[in-house]
Amino acid sequence: MSLDFLSVGGRAAAKSPLAAATAAAGASFEIRGGWELATHFAEAPVEAQACRERVAWADVSHMRKLELQGTAEQLSAARPHDGVWLALTPERALLLDGDEIPVAAGLHVLDVTSQLGALRIGGPLARELFARFCALDLRPHVTPPGVLRPGSVARTPGYVLCEAPDRYLMLFGAAYGAYLWEVVSDAGTHLGGRAVGVDALAPTETCSGA
Amino acid sequence: MSFQLTCPNCGVREVTDFGFGGEVSRRPATRPESLRELSAYNYFRCNAAGPQREWWVHRSGCKAWFLAERDTRTNAVLWTALPQDAPPAAQREAAS
Amino acid sequence: MRRLPTQPGERIDRESSIAFTFDGAPVSAYEGDTIASALLASGRHVLSRSFKYHRPRGELCGCGQCANSLMQVDGAPGVRACATPVLAGMRVEHQNAWPSLDLDLMSAAGKLASPFMPVGFYYKTFIRPRRLWPVYEKALRHAAGLGRLPKRQQERRWRTEYRRRHCDVLVIGGGIAGLCAALRAAQLGADVVLCDEDLEPGGVQLAEGGGERVRELAAQAQAAGVEILSRGCALGYFDGLVPVWQGDVLHQVRARQHVAATGAIEQPLIFPENDLPGIMLAGGARRLAALYALTPGSAAVLACVGDAGLEAALALHAAGVRIEAVADLRPDAHELPVGARVVEAGIALLSGASVVHAVGRRGVKRVTLARIGRDGAAVPGSEQELECDLLAVSGGFVPASSLLLQAGARASYDETAGRFLAQELPPGVHAAGSVAGYEDRDAAELSGALAGAKAAHALGIGGESLRRELAEQGARLQALPLARTSSPPACASGRRGGKAFVDLDEDVTVKDVEHAALEGFDSIELSKRYTTATMGPSQGRFSQLPAVRALAAKTGSQLGEIGLTTARPPWSTVPLGALAGRPLEPARRSAIHARHRELGATVRWAGEWRRAYDYGEPEGEALAVQESAGLIDVSTLGKLIVRGPDAGELLDRLYPNTMSTLKPGRIRYGVLLSDAGRITDDGTVCRLDEESFYVTTTSSGASAVEQWFSWWLADWKLDAHLSDVTQGVCAVNLAGPRARQILARTTDLDCGADAFPYLAARQAEIAGIPCLLLRIGFVGEVGYEIHCCAAHGEQLWDELMQAGAELGVRPFGLEPQRILRLQKQHILVGQDTDSESTPYGAGLEWIVKLDKPQQFIGRWALEHAAERAPEQRLVGFTVPSGQLPSEGAVVLDGAAPAGQVSSARRSPKLRSTIGMAWVPASQAYEQARITISDGGLMIEAVVTTKPFYDPEGAVLRA
Repeated sequence: MSLDFLSVGGRAAAKSPLAAATAAAGASFEIRGGWELATHFAEAPVEAQACRERVAWADVSHMRKLELQGTAEQLSAARPHDGVWLALTPERALLLDGDEIPVAAGLHVLDVTSQLGALRIGGPLARELFARFCALDLRPHVTPPGVLRPGSVARTPGYVLCEAPDRYLMLFGAAYGAYLWEVVSDAGTHLGGRAVGVDALAPTETCSGA
Repeated sequence: MSFQLTCPNCGVREVTDFGFGGEVSRRPATRPESLRELSAYNYFRCNAAGPQREWWVHRSGCKAWFLAERDTRTNAVLWTALPQDAPPAAQREAAS
Repeated sequence: MRRLPTQPGERIDRESSIAFTFDGAPVSAYEGDTIASALLASGRHVLSRSFKYHRPRGELCGCGQCANSLMQVDGAPGVRACATPVLAGMRVEHQNAWPSLDLDLMSAAGKLASPFMPVGFYYKTFIRPRRLWPVYEKALRHAAGLGRLPKRQQERRWRTEYRRRHCDVLVIGGGIAGLCAALRAAQLGADVVLCDEDLEPGGVQLAEGGGERVRELAAQAQAAGVEILSRGCALGYFDGLVPVWQGDVLHQVRARQHVAATGAIEQPLIFPENDLPGIMLAGGARRLAALYALTPGSAAVLACVGDAGLEAALALHAAGVRIEAVADLRPDAHELPVGARVVEAGIALLSGASVVHAVGRRGVKRVTLARIGRDGAAVPGSEQELECDLLAVSGGFVPASSLLLQAGARASYDETAGRFLAQELPPGVHAAGSVAGYEDRDAAELSGALAGAKAAHALGIGGESLRRELAEQGARLQALPLARTSSPPACASGRRGGKAFVDLDEDVTVKDVEHAALEGFDSIELSKRYTTATMGPSQGRFSQLPAVRALAAKTGSQLGEIGLTTARPPWSTVPLGALAGRPLEPARRSAIHARHRELGATVRWAGEWRRAYDYGEPEGEALAVQESAGLIDVSTLGKLIVRGPDAGELLDRLYPNTMSTLKPGRIRYGVLLSDAGRITDDGTVCRLDEESFYVTTTSSGASAVEQWFSWWLADWKLDAHLSDVTQGVCAVNLAGPRARQILARTTDLDCGADAFPYLAARQAEIAGIPCLLLRIGFVGEVGYEIHCCAAHGEQLWDELMQAGAELGVRPFGLEPQRILRLQKQHILVGQDTDSESTPYGAGLEWIVKLDKPQQFIGRWALEHAAERAPEQRLVGFTVPSGQLPSEGAVVLDGAAPAGQVSSARRSPKLRSTIGMAWVPASQAYEQARITISDGGLMIEAVVTTKPFYDPEGAVLRA
């Protein structure tokens, strides 16, 4: 018997743990790569303005996430060239957005895509938004791009990765999806920000306009 | 109580990020002969007023268990380390 | 009060008028006015009524430090009117007076009753008879208290939220010392936050001639990158975390270095009738004149113990206030340079004198000055009465050291400075300005810059050259004299008596402190608790030292011997709503949650989860499971994956039975034990392959079990790895006589009883979704627990509901599941067991394998426990009368309590009342009669040790 039941693979599209919340917030959906994605909440220029001038958040829970466990040597040997590698402990790492699944003797790989919800938060007020629900020190000289900060977000376990200046990826337990969406929307709307579609905060470009 | 602890994997965090595992007590290698000795192991704690070696878990972060030495009077944390990196326990502790 | 001609640096904008209402009547104000300054300008003197006696109170400090100006603003109670700017349309109301501020009938009651209401009156009077307390409470709550809370959340129009701020240096207090500290630290490259209570930084200098200098410093600080939090009150010091309340936002500032530049608080003078409106602190009077261009009185008398009072007299005189006389307690006041200037200005100066009495109804009309002899008594024949409408008092200064003391500094009485100073500051905490004893402007600037540089240096900035500079500056500061303050008497009084208040917030008089001392409350901590002096909203700012002096005078002690009470947060008043933050609770929801809502589920908290408790008809849902089929969302179950060569070994050490002998595709029930042999959790273990196990736990125990496993793993160093997949895996239980039929419609898997027997696990696709199927029977029917990736959970639910629609499948919730499991006497850990339950008492003897080789957790304790019979056993019971005992009801042995009911329900299937209870071992046999005492009701029950339903398990295994 295998652990296939942990991975997506149905005939119908997979749903994000935030799907009910994004639908209630007025998202339009599109099916891509087996996932139902919230592609936009408003006209593209409106979303772009929020990213550029205030703060915006997008549900990117579909991002593939693998958990790898093994000895430090096994982990470093298994580290692929693509994807985002996040070391959690000497014996445990996360691999985001990897194309292939690393294989090595003694290495234990688990698909945790559905275990972790993911929100990408970007804009000049992104850190102000985090400050409303999280005690992590995200000041640029403390948490520059590429640095991961595991720790409590909105009183639940989470991880915050600085992807680029003024842009962060937040991972959290999937069952808290609706709750975290509510927390982020509540504080973010008050800061003049808005929810945006999955492409508005594309990882390839810097959101801050800097 | 708002002191901070340094997770050996993740760095400095507020104490609310962590779970407390109690003071480190030595588990006997074999079953204590009398019920009294067993009960002492199960229920008695040193409860030191001063530096004490403790278990903590970074439950909101990397989930790892680690050891810390904390002064119970001031909440000053003297050091934290993963179990394999911890300095050897003082003689008094090992004997207790 | 009238407005003065334009004052240099005034805050009001005379071009721009705004209107608000006070108790419904329109009031006009200038832009820049506070509520209090606008009300004073409108001619109102009485701003509040006192807490206990409902005496009229007016402006005292003018800067939001006292309780005299608390008002209800736009529905929010306890707003400090003298620190809150007026906004157009604001609805301001008085507090603690009925029917109005000017005519408070409760004040008459206070007047009549006060001789009969000595200190401790409430404690002594209202304690008996106990049953009348609710009546007393209602009346007392009406008479006492400050303001009304809105009853409903919707009436709370304000939003409060947290904001975390990390920084290098936090400077608390934006007076001249704080500004210099912040500026210096920022110039050296530190990330600096400065918080200040006032509308703008500057402190006393704003009103006392240094306005230009501090505004320039504030601009420089801002330019250097300092974040200035104006109207930001630092509430306390919690191991380096300082909450700063700023209106809607509670900043949680975590700094590496702290500079306290919290200033010093001008003290009142204690004499009979010292609480009349029109009696104001000298600094407060200067503030009203300088910042709001208000003449605080037309004829003023000043009484003081130091230069500050004389300076205030000169300033008010210059602003156009007529000064009738100045009384300075110092015998040599007229010989001092400031005294000479007062005399030169043509003001009558009385040396060695003070105020001993005041007269007036809603405001001061006359005061009596006299030369003061020993113990505060007026020298006979020296008393003289003066007409006035303002008495400005200045009784010396108390360093605002509360935050320093909270941080761990020690308060000790400094004889030469004549005040309590904070000593032995903890590492990373610095003091600057008048809180450290540097009151003079130049000294305050130097001490501020030095503290800022020290904080930066402690961060590793500047190196050796800065260290040398600091040493040199420190020496210069050391050479400056500390400010001195002379001590007024505990109470100055002449021929006429009256109430002399040591604490205006709580209406505590000198007499009260003396009575308390006579009754034995002669330590300051006891006196505080008994008299409530210093426990009001101003947190002892104006009452701590007077209370200490009164106690010292009564007991013949020195101030240093009496000491101060422990400094505690909050240092400033703060609404509880600001501490509460946003009303959002962390909640876990299953991937199918939206469907449950659509189906009309009653959703309740179950541990961290929001769960479908039932769908409106719990008993009907339970029956459906037994008669056709039911579907329940069990995604809340904890789910762990244990992998590695030592995975079996790990489980054998954690469970009392053997897991390493399980064959792939088989399931075993297990309980987890503490080292003391007590049941902590239960669940199933399924072997997936040679090195992988899938472990389920109770819903509420998921996180604890994951921590338990990883803790032992950290200690044992086995080659096993743990992953908690609770939130990523959705699980549903399809159960009932038609469950097999329904399942077969959705999958190619052979679901036959032989192909897929009880306690087997299979892997299959259901409607194309990869699933893990566990055949287990918590509810007692043929059942399949189906696990899949949470991203497909909703589809799995929909497919099964659709496939079972014509076969009568119904969704069922947590409550029907509890009925069903009780019929089978399947225990719920935490419900039927507690922290004392062992497997032996709980009827799980069979699960303990003392013959297995592993030293599993709890084994030692169980070996001891196995040697003697448990005193209590968990058994089932039925109630022939059909009465339903409460959970927790007592099981009697004779007349003595000997056990308790842990679960009880009506079973629709069995048409009877069933339950489980802990009973004495002597009664734990089939058909034993037990008596349950339930809140006075006696219920007879019959013990059943076997499951009520399907005792042989034939249905379950079918």
